[in-house]
Amino acid sequence: MSHVSDMKVLFSRLCSVKNGLPTFKYGSRSFSQNIDRPQEPLPKESVSPLPPLSEPMQNLPPVAYASSKSENYATEVTILKNGLRVASEKKFGQFCTAGVVVDSGPRYEVAYPNGICHFLEKLSFGATHKFPTRDVMLRELERHGGICDCQGSRDTTVYATSADSRGLEAVTQVLAEVTLRPQLSTDEIESARQAVAFELETISMRPEQETILMDMIHSAAYKGNTLGLPKICPTENVYKIDRGVIINYLRNHYTPDRMVVAAVGVEHKPFVEYVQKYFVDMKPTWYEDTEAFTPVTDKSIAQYTGGIEQEECEIPLYPGSDLPELSHVVIGLESCSHGDPDFVATCVLNMMMGGGGSFSAGGPGKGMYTRLYTNVLNRYHWMFNATAYNHAYGDTGLFCVHSAAPPARLHDTALVIARELANMAGSVGDTELRRAKTQLQSMLLMNLEARPVVFEDVGRQVLATGKRKSPSFFIKEIEKVTADDIIRVARRMLSKKPSVAARGKLTHLPSFEDIQANMSLTSSESSPQGRRLNLFRV
Amino acid sequence: MLKVASTVRFIAKKGNNVRALATAAAYKQALVNVPPTQLTVLDNGIRVASEDSGAATATVGLWIDAGSRYENSKNNGVAHFLEHMAFKGTSKRSQTDLELLVENMGAHLNAYTSREQTVFYAKCLANDVPAAIEILADIIQNSSLAEPEIERERGVILREMQDVESNLQEVVFDHLHATAFQGTPLGQTILGPTKNIKKISKADLQQYIKTHYQPSRIVLSGAGGVSHGKLVDLANKHLGSLKNTATDVELLPCRYTGSDIRVRDDSMPLAHIAIAVEGAGWTDADNIPLMVANTLIGAWDRSQGGAANNASYLARAASCENLCHSFQSFNTCYKDTGLWGIYFVAEPMQIDDMVYNIQKEWNKLCTSVTEGEVERAKNLLKTNMLLQLDGTTPVCEDIGRQILCYNRRIPLHELDARIDSVNVQNIRDVCYKFLFDRCPVVAAVGPTEGLPDYTRIRGGMYWVRV
Repeated sequence: MSHVSDMKVLFSRLCSVKNGLPTFKYGSRSFSQNIDRPQEPLPKESVSPLPPLSEPMQNLPPVAYASSKSENYATEVTILKNGLRVASEKKFGQFCTAGVVVDSGPRYEVAYPNGICHFLEKLSFGATHKFPTRDVMLRELERHGGICDCQGSRDTTVYATSADSRGLEAVTQVLAEVTLRPQLSTDEIESARQAVAFELETISMRPEQETILMDMIHSAAYKGNTLGLPKICPTENVYKIDRGVIINYLRNHYTPDRMVVAAVGVEHKPFVEYVQKYFVDMKPTWYEDTEAFTPVTDKSIAQYTGGIEQEECEIPLYPGSDLPELSHVVIGLESCSHGDPDFVATCVLNMMMGGGGSFSAGGPGKGMYTRLYTNVLNRYHWMFNATAYNHAYGDTGLFCVHSAAPPARLHDTALVIARELANMAGSVGDTELRRAKTQLQSMLLMNLEARPVVFEDVGRQVLATGKRKSPSFFIKEIEKVTADDIIRVARRMLSKKPSVAARGKLTHLPSFEDIQANMSLTSSESSPQGRRLNLFRV
Repeated sequence: MLKVASTVRFIAKKGNNVRALATAAAYKQALVNVPPTQLTVLDNGIRVASEDSGAATATVGLWIDAGSRYENSKNNGVAHFLEHMAFKGTSKRSQTDLELLVENMGAHLNAYTSREQTVFYAKCLANDVPAAIEILADIIQNSSLAEPEIERERGVILREMQDVESNLQEVVFDHLHATAFQGTPLGQTILGPTKNIKKISKADLQQYIKTHYQPSRIVLSGAGGVSHGKLVDLANKHLGSLKNTATDVELLPCRYTGSDIRVRDDSMPLAHIAIAVEGAGWTDADNIPLMVANTLIGAWDRSQGGAANNASYLARAASCENLCHSFQSFNTCYKDTGLWGIYFVAEPMQIDDMVYNIQKEWNKLCTSVTEGEVERAKNLLKTNMLLQLDGTTPVCEDIGRQILCYNRRIPLHELDARIDSVNVQNIRDVCYKFLFDRCPVVAAVGPTEGLPDYTRIRGGMYWVRV
């Protein structure tokens, strides 16, 4: 029966063709009203069996909230029998950050092929004796909602994890495994090699120059020794570094006396127990049962040399923006170590110089009234960036100003910055000092809001000094800094030879002697504003 | 057949209830190691919410229920223009005074605009909270909106527009909204069209403030070293005089239209593509399973490498078979609607395979997703959500947004319990509702010739099997 009606439909369809084939229009669109089966709108009601998010869930047990005043944030430090230091601090929140801070970095690589620490960063959190693959270890961390990362600076390597406080034991085990018992299989080292090679390639293709410039300025400041050794693995070493070299490095540097296990947001006692269990009772990969082994490390003190380091090259442009090609120049001076009495004053001076990019985003508060903005960026509109940094280490420090400008302006840029540095020994205004002090205090406290930052601060301070000075100590120290301190610190820095690093098109870079002459203390003392800069000289 | 199916589903729901109770029991002794969030409503309707952690620093801000969604084609861009005018001085103090005041306090002032929210916030030392609130209140009530500044700011915004246009991800998302919510205010961009930016006048700005900066639509949020009592006092003092003048502004529902938009440019090396379906609004209980599903698909880019080590199947496929340069799944929510989907960047010849793999994963979510995957995604989601709340600014931001969206802050243990209650069946049900056989929206920029045509993508939204 039903065939008939179907046939009728078929006929009617056929008949519609009777006046010739319909003219088909190319590029015609089918509109929604032509669709046979129009989409029904999404049903309004939820399929999840819970109330909407705007209403509380029923049957939740009442919870006891923490109250803000019930805790004090003292850092507790325990030294275990083998010399390993364990530091911890309580903090709000359900999560903890725990990690290992090791006194290891490119500054100790003088007797090794340079770049080991770059490899170690790539090899971090890989396969270990307990966890046969990275995946197994990540799953263990994920069970406690954990994440991990490893970052190295010139003299410290930090392995950090953040996870639910209830998973502290598992986290401690993971940390011990990755620092003391990594497998470092040939496959892993090979893939780390690829990653390092890939990174070297991307670094050279990116418009951001900070990483390379920081290596260059350190190399100029500490020629061929300790802190002057490169952090980025040199190309010729990528294929030199193998398992033997890395294990040998680890055996000598990852020793208990050079490590601090630190945590923020945990109870101290159980934490110490876990550390004892996984870091001390279980031995490292490279452990041999012979008493004869004594670790050998480079104990030399950083020698500041000063000088110039330059590289003539093309610097990639920012994609899709209209920024012109830039050349970069960094001028540095030796400042002081983080243990030095002048350290805090140097930080205040750094804040007073401030600076940043000329197009940086953000509202008031980014340091618009610091010297590098008011005296440099606001006056010389061709300058794209001028920023002051202070790097402090255990035995020395490096204070530097990074600037970027179109290649044709490089001469003026270098001299403007040199003159501004010499100016630091000039007068210091009350308002700008007050502002710099307040900004440094608030920056310190704001940075310490984040748990990973507190962890790193605890770890680094305990590693360097065996204890942690509280933020309030530094707040008071900052308060004590006077204009005379600033001038004293500046004169101390300017009494030594500067170091210079430059990268990009360098035809117009002034000679090292020129830069040095523009920042010598004697001339700036007589009249800091005396030497007029000729803006039209190229 | 049909009857059996519904019975199965009924049993599954029962199972879910039992599970939820079990989890609740486990939380009985749970100590929530965070301070509670307190909420007070002032007489004029301003909601004051804060979490006092006793820290030495604090973030306070005004979250306003106003954004480009409340604009029409004539004044699209006003909300964003106002954000730019915020730090240009008020009737009390000039721009320089304002900047110096903030800099001397060591504080930071910032502002941003989205499609549904306008935010002004300050980060400062705990002692400076009163000053910060006074400044914020001054900015939203007495902004001077001087003509010369307005003229100057036009140029700045047009420049910002260039920046946005060089960021292809933003371009693609603007196109995605334009096509998904075509003909409705949600389809408009936040910056507004050039012709509007060029002619927005002082009167337009004042009108917008008058209509939309209503106390009943403002939340004062605080986190860090802020005492709730003091915050309420300060709010009364500086914002208490605000009056609800405009009658309730009507929020028109924004219609979703499955459709696509392609901006083909073969001179570009990579195609930037977003595919999405209509998602859930802020308050919908289905949002949590959608977020789990979103985490399950995950995000990946080439620099991560690590094929076998990734939790997401799509990431593994992408890295093993070289399907794309990067991808990230997203779940954007609005009051009554949302967009759930994926954004990826791929070479022209990879697009077809990438789309095939995405739709395969989506269909798996609706039909055959496994417990292992769901559990892993739940853990990851919890981690991401909780680790995000580190520092006063993210917490303040979370409070402000949640009070605007939910009119309460979801306690952490409830959020935890909600994520825990998601199971495989729930994921399948929710994805079946939002994904299976729904009309997607597609936005693509670049060499898009290889992108399958709309009917094929639409056809990939279902599998002819159960």
